[in-house]
Amino acid sequence: MSEPALEFDGRAVPFREGQTIAAALTEAGQRAFRRTAKDAPRGIFCGMGVCQDCLVTVDGVPNRRACMTKARAGQRVTTGEPFPALDLDARLPEPAPARVLEPEVLVIGGGAGGLSAAIAARAAGAKVVLVDERPVPGGQYYKQAASGAPLDAQQSEGAALVAAARESGAELLGGVEIWGAFDGPLFLAEQDGAALILRPKTVIVATGAYERPVMVPGWTLPGVMTTGAAQTLWRSYRTLPGRRVVVCGSGPLNAQVALELAEGGAEVACVAELAPMPFGKPFAAARMALADPALTLKGFGLLRGLRRRGIALRYGTALRGIEAADGGLAVTLADRRDGSRVVEVDAVCMNAGFEPQNEILRLLGAQMTYDAVFGHLRCTRSETLETSVPGVYAVGDCAGMGGAPAARVEGRIAGRAAAAATGHGEAYDLFAELRTLARHRRFQRGLWRLYDVRPRPPEPGQGETILCRCEEVSLAEATEGHGRNPGHVGTLKRGTRIGMGRCQGRYCGPVATRLVAGWSGAEIADRSFFAPRVPIKPVSIASILAAQEALDDAP
Amino acid sequence: MTPPDVLVIGGGIIGRVAAIELATAGATVTIVDAGTNAGSHANAGSLHVQMQSRFIRLFPEQAPNVEAALPLYKQAASVWADLEARIGDCELTRQGGLMLAEGEAQMAFLEDKARREERRGLDVTLLDRAALDRIAPWIGAQIVGAELCRDEGKLNPLLAGRRLEAECRRLGITVVTDSVQALERAGGGMVAHGRRSRYAAQEVVIAAAWGSGVIVRDFGVDIPTRAEPLHMNITEPCAYQIAHLVQHAERPITFKQFKSGQIVIGGGWPARDNGPDAVPSVRADSLLGNVALAARLVPAVGRLRLIRTWAGMNTTADGGSILGRLAREPRVTMAVPGDAGYTLGPLIGQMAASIVLGQAPPADPAPYAPDRFAAATA
Ligand SMILES: Cc1cc2nc3c(=O)[nH]c(=O)nc-3n(C[C@H](O)[C@H](O)[C@@H](O)COP(=O)(O)OP(=O)(O)OC[C@H]3O[C@@H](n4cnc5c(N)ncnc54)[C@H](O)[C@@H]3O)c2cc1C
Ligand SMILES: Cc1cc2nc3c(=O)[nH]c(=O)nc-3n(C[C@H](O)[C@H](O)[C@H](O)COP(=O)(O)OP(=O)(O)OC[C@H]3O[C@@H](n4cnc5c(N)ncnc54)[C@H](O)[C@@H]3O)c2cc1C
Ligand code: FES
Repeated sequence: MSEPALEFDGRAVPFREGQTIAAALTEAGQRAFRRTAKDAPRGIFCGMGVCQDCLVTVDGVPNRRACMTKARAGQRVTTGEPFPALDLDARLPEPAPARVLEPEVLVIGGGAGGLSAAIAARAAGAKVVLVDERPVPGGQYYKQAASGAPLDAQQSEGAALVAAARESGAELLGGVEIWGAFDGPLFLAEQDGAALILRPKTVIVATGAYERPVMVPGWTLPGVMTTGAAQTLWRSYRTLPGRRVVVCGSGPLNAQVALELAEGGAEVACVAELAPMPFGKPFAAARMALADPALTLKGFGLLRGLRRRGIALRYGTALRGIEAADGGLAVTLADRRDGSRVVEVDAVCMNAGFEPQNEILRLLGAQMTYDAVFGHLRCTRSETLETSVPGVYAVGDCAGMGGAPAARVEGRIAGRAAAAATGHGEAYDLFAELRTLARHRRFQRGLWRLYDVRPRPPEPGQGETILCRCEEVSLAEATEGHGRNPGHVGTLKRGTRIGMGRCQGRYCGPVATRLVAGWSGAEIADRSFFAPRVPIKPVSIASILAAQEALDDAP
Repeated sequence: MTPPDVLVIGGGIIGRVAAIELATAGATVTIVDAGTNAGSHANAGSLHVQMQSRFIRLFPEQAPNVEAALPLYKQAASVWADLEARIGDCELTRQGGLMLAEGEAQMAFLEDKARREERRGLDVTLLDRAALDRIAPWIGAQIVGAELCRDEGKLNPLLAGRRLEAECRRLGITVVTDSVQALERAGGGMVAHGRRSRYAAQEVVIAAAWGSGVIVRDFGVDIPTRAEPLHMNITEPCAYQIAHLVQHAERPITFKQFKSGQIVIGGGWPARDNGPDAVPSVRADSLLGNVALAARLVPAVGRLRLIRTWAGMNTTADGGSILGRLAREPRVTMAVPGDAGYTLGPLIGQMAASIVLGQAPPADPAPYAPDRFAAATA
């Protein structure tokens, strides 16, 4: 029996059950998915629905994210165009039915934090709905396979947590993308083109983080993707990002994914770690080991694994640039001792830390402060993880990087607190949970001190490097725009279009904010960033229409 | 006569155009702008000429002022085209604006409106559905006809803002970020006190939109300039196919496509005011109502995605522009536009500059004199 296939620009591309269009195309060696307004090719980058660079036309509908759209037999996929023609004869699509849900506790995000929150709130007796934009819950750490058995202990642990959440009686809804958050609170979401309206009594935001890239010349080329995107391709869809890969940036995820990809059959040229060898920072390393000996040992296991496979982990090594060469990519790495070297690969994975997905929290007006160590905003929370907005809780990485173990504890605390706030269960002793949490947080602080993840603009000599992927604005253009009209990052946005594209400044925003602060000498605070605005992610007008009709009919 | 030193308070469309005219005439010009909530940074770039149904419905008592000023709007749209020729491409087009009618009652309203507008010199025509199909077949089936105003058009305000900024720089105009708290006479000139510094000049132009009334309240006028937070939406880009500005006879909406491909949907839906130092925020009902209405009028956009909404500050007083020297303090010239102030901006800015320079303005400013707000007693 022949395997199912979709059609890409007229040619048949086979796929396996559960794969996304992006996974199928990557497996077939197709790296460019769309062309930009300046006619540059782009492909999968974030792999998680954030960057909007994987847009393709699917069965005549433009601008569908290949990384979030399941492959189907006979699907007609074409290269995404920058200016697709409107079908002026089109009738308004029949609005898909809209649903209104009013749970006592709404959990947004089905990762480590969200799943434990849902379980805890449900166990206390609350009516719980959990939504996640991915079809399969589990989140980034517990990333589940789209089909087939768990790959390793991490996936099994996640599968158990998902099973516990299902058994708890919480309603788990997949493929739900929240695009609007308003006072009330009121949330508007899209689910497969249909509208979902959520008016919960309390909400636990558990939206996690997305990855910080390394902005160098060529970082927008097809074949260059975040380390997490490569991990998703492999762990969820059993697709390797390329035959030969290099992993760059800073942080513990890079070494882990390098090993996973190697175990999956990829040739890993090396892991380029920007930070120096950790022996230089014995204090941080010791603190980390004390806080969580097991996790620290896991780290050592990882290093051994890399060594066994002959994969070099090069400390103090920076990614300098990427060029398209002979159907592959020529990657320039530089370290202080040996100077620069070029490696030839067909995929580059990059991760230089994380940015919290705090859009919902900021839209609801939750108070934030700038955390200079992590280089991002941290949400102010009470002991029960309630934000400054009553009834709105934040758990996990969306409130500031904390890691999966902390997210699980936070989920339990917030889940019980939200349930208690809606009249289920009562006050309880937080002492043990808080002590565990403090230990996880100590571990994280120690861990990240070993790396170098501040959001960095490209090197001054690399002015042509793109800062804003969507609007194709370079460092030189941003610098020039600021020189013309100094002020807030919002002024820079109006003057240069930086941050005005589909991803809403998710990648350029943190860097532009730092640049403007550096130029003006101002302290970074919540208001230094782009103003939060809806839609959180682009949303189809048909789905807005459906939501409007549903709310209009509501009493 | 040597041109005076001029302080322009407010750096929106009016303040910048006035400054450009003054500097071109040889004046030394400083713009002091608070840097917050400029309508000119948030607006939709529609060049409005026909009366907007939203305005007639919301502020019926102010409608006569707008109707009397219709020739000013027509002239203002032409001034925009001249300005573009001078400062560079702003994606300006004047292919006309359609106001759509759903049913015979609305058609009758448009007929009456068109007659009144024609009397004031506007180039308007009524279209039945067959005629509408010839120029805009993409309009929703429920629409029975429309009024076409050929004087109307659109432009990209982000681009225009960049061009104006460059022109100010080229002319050596000083631009300071500060908020003026008080204004007083000092010797032979005026002094404005900002939060950061003080600014002396021989003449002052007040182009501070919603912030204008309080600055001059000690000069015998009580000008009720109010901030009105409004909502906007924008889609991702698509091929440029829709040339007209589209409005509705009864419901608040403006719909247009920038030449760069994005579709902008607005029309005066309310946003939430968060005070003068913070940006206003978007309301769910406005977003849903505004975008759903657009989709019903132009069904082809149903498949497009919305990528952004925002909110900004419009300014209202009595519907008419407020333009001219203050009777009690002739060194102060007011320059606040009436409804659809971005359309009027360049013309009002030019008129204000002429008044300061003692030249004949391009239109008669008498109907807009600030004296109509003379305070009851001093
Ligand atoms: C024609 C047009 C097209 C547009 N197209 C797009 C588009 O395609 N994509 C898109 O994303 N946006 C677009 N915009 C929106 C754009 O961001 C607007 O220029 C801006 O007016 C409103 O932006 P904002 O409030 O959403 O966010 P931002 O522009 O980020 O505004 C933040 C504001 O916060 C204010 N602020 C922050 N901190 C302080 C402080 N401490 N004190 C005082 N003020 C502070 C700043 O003054 C700044 O104006 C468009 C706007 C226009 C006018
Ligand atoms: C969302 C939206 C859409 C719109 N769409 C359109 C449209 O399509 N077509 C149209 O014709 N009109 C439109 N308008 C109206 C139009 O934008 C405004 O009428 C026009 O821009 C006003 O220009 P201005 O120069 O008078 O003032 P503004 O552009 O409002 O600028 C006033 C400036 O003065 C500053 N200021 C205030 N007080 C002080 C002080 N005390 N000291 C120093 N500075 C001060 C402010 O910070 C601001 O920068 C829209 C308005 C909004 C809000
Ligand atoms: S790769 Fe699909 S949205 Fe980023």
